[in-house]
Amino acid sequence: MSAPLFLSDHAALIAAVVIGIAFGWTLERAGLGSAKKLAGQFYLTDLTVFKVMFSAILTAMLGAFWLGRLGVLDLSRVYVPGTWLAPQLLGGAIFGAGFAIAGLCPGTSCVAAATGRGDGLAAFTGMFTGILVTGLAFAPLQRFYDSTSRGTLTLPEVLHLPYGTVVALLTGIALAGFAGAEWIERRQRAPEPEHARVATLVPEQEPQA
Amino acid sequence: MTPLHRTLAGAAVVLGAFAPFAGSPYRTPPAGIDIRSLATEVANEEDHVTAIELATWIQERKAGLRILDLRTAEEFDEYHLPHSENLPLEALATTRFAPDETLVLLSGGGAHAAQAWVFLRALGNRHVFFLRGGLQEWLDDVMSPTLAADAPPETKARVSALSRYFGGVPHTGTALPEPAAANSVTALRRRGC
Repeated sequence: MSAPLFLSDHAALIAAVVIGIAFGWTLERAGLGSAKKLAGQFYLTDLTVFKVMFSAILTAMLGAFWLGRLGVLDLSRVYVPGTWLAPQLLGGAIFGAGFAIAGLCPGTSCVAAATGRGDGLAAFTGMFTGILVTGLAFAPLQRFYDSTSRGTLTLPEVLHLPYGTVVALLTGIALAGFAGAEWIERRQRAPEPEHARVATLVPEQEPQA
Repeated sequence: MTPLHRTLAGAAVVLGAFAPFAGSPYRTPPAGIDIRSLATEVANEEDHVTAIELATWIQERKAGLRILDLRTAEEFDEYHLPHSENLPLEALATTRFAPDETLVLLSGGGAHAAQAWVFLRALGNRHVFFLRGGLQEWLDDVMSPTLAADAPPETKARVSALSRYFGGVPHTGTALPEPAAANSVTALRRRGC
């Protein structure tokens, strides 16, 4: 048997619930239910989100490539979402702005709300209010929603590079990113230089007349 | 960095470094054309949907339905079916669809959609249909249907309700549709595929 496996609608729903609970539990255990931790990403004091996301991308990419190459995964049957350039760019900008303002993204806002955090509940409510309003106002939005369709794009097709070359390049970028993130975090954690502390402890003496 | 991190990073380096030399990860090349199978589908009229069937699918929000409009972006912007997406014919070769999706192809007159049906079936997609009469069939049968005077009342009621659901103007016998709808429909009918 080869992956991906196809489940009936009911089985897929059950699987989604189980995976969702596992995902939420893992986010909470990693501390990502706290807006302070996520906001640290934007202040470059805590790059956990960057490292988690790039770890996931790297793991999935290497796994998909090599499992496909070894015949375990049939990549031609894996669904790749389509590209609608303008609406997805706008959606990304709204998502980014919401992330920066709330300090939470959709998954982590659910986790924060589930653990009773007030900011999580506010972000969660705002997110679903936005979904509801968009749904109610969908008719006038649909023209934009359906615009700038580019079909299904993948990096090897866009860059005109072999799949394996793209995998190697992204692996290098990800590992360089991890090293850079570690370096930034080390700098943030580094104690103040000795002379700086002494300078704050011993006030400057005013010159005598 | 812990020893575990170093080990994982090392594994990623090895897997990434060998990837360019590993060849394509796609195990199954595009399926070939099984002419006998396709001919049987065509003979049994399983290759297409009527505009009324498509309208019913849209109204009932059929799961996994994707309506692919193969006309130009300008024609699509001028008028398109609800929930349809504009996709150039050339993009079909590189577009991948989920196995459980139902794909309905649409072009101006129907010829391009029928050709695209062959392409997608050759690429291994299973649930593919095309709108036989193209956009014109949609305009004729859904947006401006002519209901035969002697048609069963339930059929007339069903088609009328379906047409009105999409903002159409059904009419009975040989009467012309209302002027506004008639003008827009006539303008669109001039287009080929």
